[in-house]
Amino acid sequence: MRVAPFIPLLALAATAGAAPLRDPGQPPAAAQQAAQAQNRARPASVGATLDAEAEAHLRASFDAADSAHRGTLSRAEAQAGGFGWIANHFDAIDTRRAGRVSFDDVRRYLKSRGAGSATQ
Amino acid sequence: MVTIQSVLRDAWFAAAAVLAVAGAGCGGGGGNDGGASGSAAQFIDANHYSAAAGASLSTPSEATGVTHHTLTLGGGAIAYTATAGHLSALDAGQAPEASIFYVAYTADGAAAATRPVTFFFNGGPGSATVWLHLGSFAPKRLATGVPATTQSLPFPYVDNAESLIDTSDLVYVDAVGTGLSEAVAPHTNQDFWGVDADAAVLRDFVLRWLAVNGRTASPLFVFGESYGTTRVPVLARLLETAGRRVNGVVELSSILDYNSNCSVAGGTPTVDCAGFLPSYAAVGDWWHLDSGGAAADLDADIATVRGYADATYAPDAAAWLANGTLPPADHLASLVAFTGLGTATWQQQFDMDFDTFRHQLIADTTLGVYDGRMSALVGTPLDADDDPSNSFVAPGFQSGIDALLPALGYTNPSTYVMASNAIATWNFSHGGRALPDVVPDLSATLALDPQLKILFLGGEHDLITPFHQTELDVARLGAGAPLALHFHPGGHMTYLDDGSRPLMKAELAAFYAGAR
Repeated sequence: MRVAPFIPLLALAATAGAAPLRDPGQPPAAAQQAAQAQNRARPASVGATLDAEAEAHLRASFDAADSAHRGTLSRAEAQAGGFGWIANHFDAIDTRRAGRVSFDDVRRYLKSRGAGSATQ
Repeated sequence: MVTIQSVLRDAWFAAAAVLAVAGAGCGGGGGNDGGASGSAAQFIDANHYSAAAGASLSTPSEATGVTHHTLTLGGGAIAYTATAGHLSALDAGQAPEASIFYVAYTADGAAAATRPVTFFFNGGPGSATVWLHLGSFAPKRLATGVPATTQSLPFPYVDNAESLIDTSDLVYVDAVGTGLSEAVAPHTNQDFWGVDADAAVLRDFVLRWLAVNGRTASPLFVFGESYGTTRVPVLARLLETAGRRVNGVVELSSILDYNSNCSVAGGTPTVDCAGFLPSYAAVGDWWHLDSGGAAADLDADIATVRGYADATYAPDAAAWLANGTLPPADHLASLVAFTGLGTATWQQQFDMDFDTFRHQLIADTTLGVYDGRMSALVGTPLDADDDPSNSFVAPGFQSGIDALLPALGYTNPSTYVMASNAIATWNFSHGGRALPDVVPDLSATLALDPQLKILFLGGEHDLITPFHQTELDVARLGAGAPLALHFHPGGHMTYLDDGSRPLMKAELAAFYAGAR
């Protein structure tokens, strides 16, 4: 008969200290339990969901560079804020020649190149 | 403190000057007589390095040992320089974050604009990059004879006929709190023990290494193994975001999604183990316990079992997980035929984790976690760590790195930490998940750089990062993604297999040629 998955998981984690490091090794038990609860509601992403998760990484970098919370970045702000990719592609992204670009401008540029799967 | 740092900086600049002279000599004269520099820079680093969570270095050193060598490869001689020591990763304000230990092998006289440079990362987290450094594609390697367990210690350190030094410069990097890498005050090692913080500090190291070595225009590759395949997609995304092109990502023995791998490090499955089934069949085939295929052709066996895993085993396992029901008897019979694992074991743990498999396949015998072709009788010395594939090689890699570093002109009294306890307090959260899924990182990186190429390699007998799970995970990227996948007989450290290493070398050479 099968037992509920939580119990042996905890038992294994409790004895993990004695075992040599495995690579990849088992994450801490708390992280494993949190993931189990999360994964029931959030299966592995594909298609548009994967694109949205990829885009979220880029948006997080954009927001980190936008320390003034203006919603837009100049070329210099992008470079100084760690988003050098925007600075390198600034003229192509800034189609309105505004001197500042929003994250939507970045999305439009990525989509216009038709490459990759993120933001499509 | 000021005097120590300035002395060490002077030593580093002297080492850099030796490198520059060597490069100019070979590039100008076309000869490899070594007369340009002759001497090697020897360095005794007095710092004490610690892999403890709270450890923090107050006087980072950037001195290096520099030695000159020649490797004869495919009929030609390649003169190269080995550089061993630390370089600080700097934050946005140019303050040192961490003192990162590395060993770089750079061909003498190559043109920086066209010569690729590859950064290698093992995983863990908490594992030093000693496996890739000493076992895979550096100019020299340890000869282990794996999967045989007959080679005595110390492993011979031999010229590597499959070295990538003919294709790329090679930089082996220890993450913070492994090897001899340590956080710089006021940071502690723990500050960099998380999926995102680790990748960010390694980004800062890579950018600094490229700048200091005049390599900002060089084609750039990052190469990860095991947890390193989780680390490297995040690193590649951060490098591209920072504006640094990455030409290629190499993923060896991958774990891209901790949520889809049914048995991370042997944990109890909570999702179906279809990604593991073809690896179980390959191991069963090795031990001649399967009756599923017409023998000899492992590839054909794997193709059959791969199809069965996705179409039949995955839904069967999901049903068993959901309500404990076993499938019809003919399904069980197929699994027994494919793998050689007995019916009773399947009935007990139908969603099969690799720890159950490797302990139950052969009576009184433990099969290796990293290589299911390696075995130990229960209770024998090779079984002491419950993993003969680790127990057999780990001592030889520790003694190998301990002997190598002084020979490369770098001497330090600290212990080179092959495996730290970083995982116990590692922050695994990433992208809003408690456990990382880096497929979105690959997707984002490809969006930023449509020219990026990705190569997946692995061993068919690896029981901890099964190759079919990699196939399932990367399928999420869609049919048009610029990926290549190659799997060969062998374990997790697939390059240890003398038959598969040359195949991998050829695949790497083709990959680099197509990713320039």
